[in-house]
Amino acid sequence: MASTLAEWTNKQVCVITCDGRSIVGIMAGYDQLQNLILKDASERVYSPDADPETVPLGLYVIRGDNIAIISDRDEEREASVNLDKVRAEPIESVVQNIG
Amino acid sequence: MLFYSFFKTLVGKEVAVELKNNVVLTGKLHSVDQYLNIKLTDVQVVDQGRYPQLLALKNCFIRGSVVRYIQIPPSEVDTELLQDAARKENAPASAVSSKA
Repeated sequence: MASTLAEWTNKQVCVITCDGRSIVGIMAGYDQLQNLILKDASERVYSPDADPETVPLGLYVIRGDNIAIISDRDEEREASVNLDKVRAEPIESVVQNIG
Repeated sequence: MLFYSFFKTLVGKEVAVELKNNVVLTGKLHSVDQYLNIKLTDVQVVDQGRYPQLLALKNCFIRGSVVRYIQIPPSEVDTELLQDAARKENAPASAVSSKA
């Protein structure tokens, strides 16, 4: 019952990083440590006072240590909400216990 | 390996996963691995108003290192059995060291 990322190769994924960023892109590759290669990546910056901003990133490598969630995108659910107008507080950073 | 085996018995059940960034996701447990990375299908984010960014998430892979809690339905767990298994898991090591 292995949890692998194989089913998402060459698919659009949404990655939530440990610092609360939301990055979307096509997953070109991955490894056992969840290091990812994303093609045509872009970051969606959400803010409570302004419309979301999309920052294009191109070809991106994300180190697995920094990843919290990797997910596919449901087109129906995405269509039900106009993501260009969503106002939201940013996602918090993951708190890692130190010492 | 105990908890890995334990979660394997819960595959197919609805669980709620609370992450260290306070996000809570509910969904069906699809698979788990030795690092307790979790794959959930048909995910809903609890408190959708706070996290509209996560509305489009359907099937997700959650890295084990960011999980704070995994909430499981009490009917699915035999706590006595789990306690016994945990006790046994830790006992042999102390038995060996007392012989040496």
